[in-house]
Amino acid sequence: MQDDYTSPWVIRFGWIYLLAIVAALMVPVFYNFYISFNEYGFGAANYKATFDWYITVFEDRLLVNAFVWTLGLAVMTVLIVIPMGLSAAKLFKQLTNKVWLVALMLLPLFVPADIFASALLVFFKNLNGMFTWLSEMTGLGFLSTWFELGVTTAVIGLVVYTLPYVFIVILITMGRYHPEQTEAARSCGATAWQAFWQVEFPQIRAGIFSACAFVVILTFNEYTRTSMLKGGFDTFTTVLVSQMLNTGMSEQSYAMGGIVSAVAIVIIGSIIIITLVQQEQMARRERAVAEPGSGQ
Amino acid sequence: MMSGAVDGGAPAVETVGIGKNYGPVQALKSVDLKIASGEYFVLLGPSGGGKTTLLRLIGGFIRPTSGKVMLNGQDVSHLPPDKRSTSMVFQSYALFPHMNVEQNVGYGLKLRKRPRDEIAAEVEAMLELVGLSGYGERRTFELSGGQQQRVQLARALILRSDILLLDEPLAALDAQLRKDMCVELKHLQEKVGITFIHVTHNQEEAMAVADRIAVVASGELVETAGVREIYERPARRFTAGFVGERIIFDGVLRSVSDGVANVSVDGRMIAATAGDGASSAIGKPVSVSVRSECLKLFGEAPQASEAGWQHLEGFYVESTYLGLTTRHTVRLASGREIGVRTVGGDEAVGPFARDAAVHVAWQAHDAMVHTA
Repeated sequence: MQDDYTSPWVIRFGWIYLLAIVAALMVPVFYNFYISFNEYGFGAANYKATFDWYITVFEDRLLVNAFVWTLGLAVMTVLIVIPMGLSAAKLFKQLTNKVWLVALMLLPLFVPADIFASALLVFFKNLNGMFTWLSEMTGLGFLSTWFELGVTTAVIGLVVYTLPYVFIVILITMGRYHPEQTEAARSCGATAWQAFWQVEFPQIRAGIFSACAFVVILTFNEYTRTSMLKGGFDTFTTVLVSQMLNTGMSEQSYAMGGIVSAVAIVIIGSIIIITLVQQEQMARRERAVAEPGSGQ
Repeated sequence: MMSGAVDGGAPAVETVGIGKNYGPVQALKSVDLKIASGEYFVLLGPSGGGKTTLLRLIGGFIRPTSGKVMLNGQDVSHLPPDKRSTSMVFQSYALFPHMNVEQNVGYGLKLRKRPRDEIAAEVEAMLELVGLSGYGERRTFELSGGQQQRVQLARALILRSDILLLDEPLAALDAQLRKDMCVELKHLQEKVGITFIHVTHNQEEAMAVADRIAVVASGELVETAGVREIYERPARRFTAGFVGERIIFDGVLRSVSDGVANVSVDGRMIAATAGDGASSAIGKPVSVSVRSECLKLFGEAPQASEAGWQHLEGFYVESTYLGLTTRHTVRLASGREIGVRTVGGDEAVGPFARDAAVHVAWQAHDAMVHTA
C-alpha cells in the first residue's frame, strides 16, 4: 500500500510545481528572444526569423554606449564590493557575537530602492556642497568634483546595494570551509596571504565567482539607484526604460536584451553546475572523514 | 606551577607565566612549563580545560594575553606560526582537499621553493616513513581516517621542524585504530627524535605514547610527571580523580610519621603514603586516594596482625562484567557507592550476595594523601 512517503506523485507534483515556477520566471526572457529574432519587430502581425537585429545591434551607438558604461560600473563595483564582502564573511567566521555584523550587513536590503536612492542623492548633494566649499577655501580645485553626481556616486550606490548579496553568497560557500586548513597552511610555513590564496581561495572561488556574476547582473538590472546617482551618462537599463516610455524599444534593444540574457544564463548555469559538482566532492570528502574506512 | 625535567641547555619549549583570556573568560592561567628536546610530552585533561589553548599558544595560532613562549631559548611570543620552528597535526579536516596526497605532503617544501625533483624524492621518503608508499596520486577523500592522519604527519614531519604539535590527532579514529596509531606515533617519534607535544583527553592514549604527562584542567597546569608517577603516585587530588579509576576519601590529616600519614575519614583512622610537604597540612582537610584495582573485597575484616591492611565496612551491591576486569559496586556505611576492580569474573572475589556485609580493604602503601 502506498502512503504519502512512497507515492511517486508526491515527487512528480514537486517537480511539476518547480518547473512551473521556472517556466513562469523564464517565459518573459524567452519571449524577448522570440521577438529579437523577428524581422518585423515587436507587435508585428507577421513573424520571419532573422539574425539581422543581432548583427546591427552594435550600430545603435546609444545602446552600445549605455552597455559599455554599465559594464564599466559593474567591473568597478565588482572590484570594490568583492573584497569588502569577503572581508566581512571572514570576520563573520571569526566573531563570537555575529548578530550585529549580520544586521549591519543586511540593513541595506530592508530599505526600499527609491528611498535608498533619494537618501544617497541628498547625501551626495550635501557632501558635494561641502567639498566645493572646501575646495574654494583651500584652493585645491580637484576636491570640488569628488562627489559630483557621476561614476563615483553611482559606484558607491551600487556597492551599498550589492554588498549584502555578496556577503551572503560568499558566506554560504565559506560555511563548508574548515579554518583548520588555513592554520595547517600557516603551520607549513605559508604567510597569511599564501594560506588564503593557495588553500582557502581554491575552495571558495565558486562563491566568489557567483558573487561577481551576481553583482554584474544586479548592476545591469538596477534602475532606481543608478538613474538618480549616475549624473550625465546613460546605463543599459535607463536607456531601455527611456525607450519604452518614449518611443518604444528598438529591435536592437531586444537583441541586446537577448545577448545579456544569454550571457547571464550561461554564467549562472555554469556556476550552478560547478557548485553542484564541488558540493558533491566536498560531501564525499566529509563523509570520508566522518566515516573512516577500515584501512589504516 | 613550574614543571620540567630538562637537563642542561635550553629546553625545546618553555612557557613563562603564559595566559590567555577571551573577554572575561580565563582560558589559561599563568602556566610555566618546560619541555626537553626530543621528549614525547602529552597535555592531558578534560575537554575545555585549556590544553589545546596551550598548544595553540606554543604554535603561534593565538597570541598570549600574558607571559611568553620560548622555543629553543628564543622568545617567539610575537611570531606567527610560519615563523616558528613548529609544525602541527590537527584533529581532522586539515588536509587540503583540492590537492592530492603528494601535493599535501610537499606543500611546505614548495613554499620553501625547493626544486621539484627534490620535493618529489622527499615526499616519497616521507610517505614511506608513515607507511603510505604509492598513495601519492590519491585524492585525500579517497583515504581512510587513519591514512588521512598519516598524511598530516608526513606533511608536518617533512618540514623537519624541531617540535611537532599534535592536537587530538587520534580523536576521530575508531578505538582499535587509535591504539595502533599510538604505537606507531611513539615509534615514529623515537625514529625522528624531535619533540612531540600531543594533546588528548584520553588517558590510555596519553600513557601509551608519553615520556611525561602534564595534566591541564580549568585553565591551570595541575601537575607534570612521568607516566608511571602520574598513574601510581599523583600529587594532586584532581589528577587522582582524572587519571585511572581511584576511590577518593575526604578527611582530616591527623599525623605524619616516617612517610606514613594518618587521616581521619568518617570517624575511622586510615594510614596512607604521605607526599612531600604533607606534614605542613596536619589538622587540615586532605584527600586520600586508592586505585580501584588495589582494593580487595573480604567477607571478614582483615586481621589486625596482617600489617598494613586498611579497611572500611560496606554492603555488596552488584558486579559488572567488563571483559578483562569486573567492577564490584559496594555501598559504604556512609551511603556512598564505590567500585572495586578485579581481573576476571565474579570468581575472583566472593561471590557475594546482594546486600551481603563486605570489607573493602587495601594496603596502606597503595593509598596516597593529597593536600591539594
